[in-house]
Amino acid sequence: MQFFGSSEISPSPPVPTASGNNAHMMYVFNRNGVCLLYREWNRPLRTLDSNQDHKLMFGLLFSLKSLTAKMDPSSSVEKGNLGVPQLPGQGCSFHSFRTNTYKLSFMESPSGIKIILVTHPKASDLRESLKYIYNLYVEYVVKNPLYTPGTPIKSELFNTTLDQYVRGLG
Amino acid sequence: MAPAVPRSGDAIFANVERVNAELFTLTYGAIVRQLLTDLEEVEEVNKQLDQMGYNIGIRLIDEFLAKSNVTRCVDFRETAEVIAKVGFKMFLGVTASVTNWDNEGTCCSLILEDNPLVDFVELPDNCQGLYYCNILSGVVRGALEMVSMKTEITWIRDMLRGDDAFELQVKLLKQVPEEYPYKDDE
Amino acid sequence: MAREVSESCMDSLLTEIVSSYCNVLYVSKPELAARRIEAIGYQVGHQLSERYTMERPRFSDHLEAIKFICKDFWSELFKKQIDNLKTNHRGTFVLQDDKFAWVSRMSSTENSGSTQEPGIGNKAAEASSMHLYFPCGIIRGALSNLGISCAVSADISNLPSCSFVIRIKV
Repeated sequence: MQFFGSSEISPSPPVPTASGNNAHMMYVFNRNGVCLLYREWNRPLRTLDSNQDHKLMFGLLFSLKSLTAKMDPSSSVEKGNLGVPQLPGQGCSFHSFRTNTYKLSFMESPSGIKIILVTHPKASDLRESLKYIYNLYVEYVVKNPLYTPGTPIKSELFNTTLDQYVRGLG
Repeated sequence: MAPAVPRSGDAIFANVERVNAELFTLTYGAIVRQLLTDLEEVEEVNKQLDQMGYNIGIRLIDEFLAKSNVTRCVDFRETAEVIAKVGFKMFLGVTASVTNWDNEGTCCSLILEDNPLVDFVELPDNCQGLYYCNILSGVVRGALEMVSMKTEITWIRDMLRGDDAFELQVKLLKQVPEEYPYKDDE
Repeated sequence: MAREVSESCMDSLLTEIVSSYCNVLYVSKPELAARRIEAIGYQVGHQLSERYTMERPRFSDHLEAIKFICKDFWSELFKKQIDNLKTNHRGTFVLQDDKFAWVSRMSSTENSGSTQEPGIGNKAAEASSMHLYFPCGIIRGALSNLGISCAVSADISNLPSCSFVIRIKV
């Protein structure tokens, strides 16, 4: 499907390493903790209502970021106290963690846009894929003249493109 | 390793979709003229242009970050440089220079000698006090706010007022860290 | 080569014209907002048409002028020509751009599902129609500079295609 003609989205999509749908769900948060997008492909077990679910996910990332930066052995920068707010992009940043049942991949732009993709634990390094999804967000959401920044994403064009891309991920 | 901060926006500008600058310049001119008619007060027009710029800045920042691969904007000095060299180039096709740093490194000037917004523009006499390019200061303010930098932006020089360049003073007021947005008991 | 700026600059201006006039300056007066947005387009079209016809002989009839809009004028603005031109030979012309740049990124923010609140669909339709007054104004301004007075309307029921209907006043 080609909507934009010659308009190119950079970087070009990373080549999927395996076929099949390995993705469970995806979240996009903005810098104020608003869940702009929640997309679910395969999530048999869910126990929380969606509002709580989003908050829990945001809280998990918030704490993890703070903890990982605090434990950074390499940085000589003054780290401050645990839980002290950081600037997006400050200190080190984690990009994924894995449990025996799933893998969570994470990216945060300096503007505080957070993209979280939860996949099968054997999924490969998805950093380039998240970057590509960030580019999709720019092309299909931010540039949609009908979209108001900071509001939940309801664009069909974005959702269709995203689904198609994620389905091809390894 | 995180990729190095890009030093120029040439390659990005060459790759983005571009349009006829004449269309852009005339459209901006028509907006200013219409606002002058509708709002009457020059000061109100300045405010509206700044607000429009701000709204544009908070959107453009993500395109800038996504296409430039800039992964952190923590240091103000570095951020000012990258906006001048990469940001301006990538959108307007021109490069700004950064000078006049104060000792604390919290205040500098962006200088623009070539500005597509003002091609074929001459201000009529009844526009005293109009900051014709005020949309630009709004864009910079909005974009910086999205990367946690609260700034105050002032026009120092303006070619439409007879100066030899456009000079925007950017003063960092504070860097706003990310707060946990929910109350604990929610 | 003629100077260029990124397409995003132009798109951003258009988004902001609409949002300023509809959400700030003329809230709840959509007819007035529409007229102002059209007026901005008119100024632009008039000036551009002046520039692009400076070294041309005068057009011999309406059809010649319309063809100029479809080919040269459209190419300057959008790097492509109008895809289809129809006329009833009584002063009405329909110009169809199969992928009109200024609406190509528009994606309805609402599904037409039955769960939506009533009225939202209309609001979305109204919002997207606001984006058409500027290009309609451009066409009317350009033709007026060529000595032709007309009314222009547009239809985007088939995105990303856009049809402009020009009715020449006699």
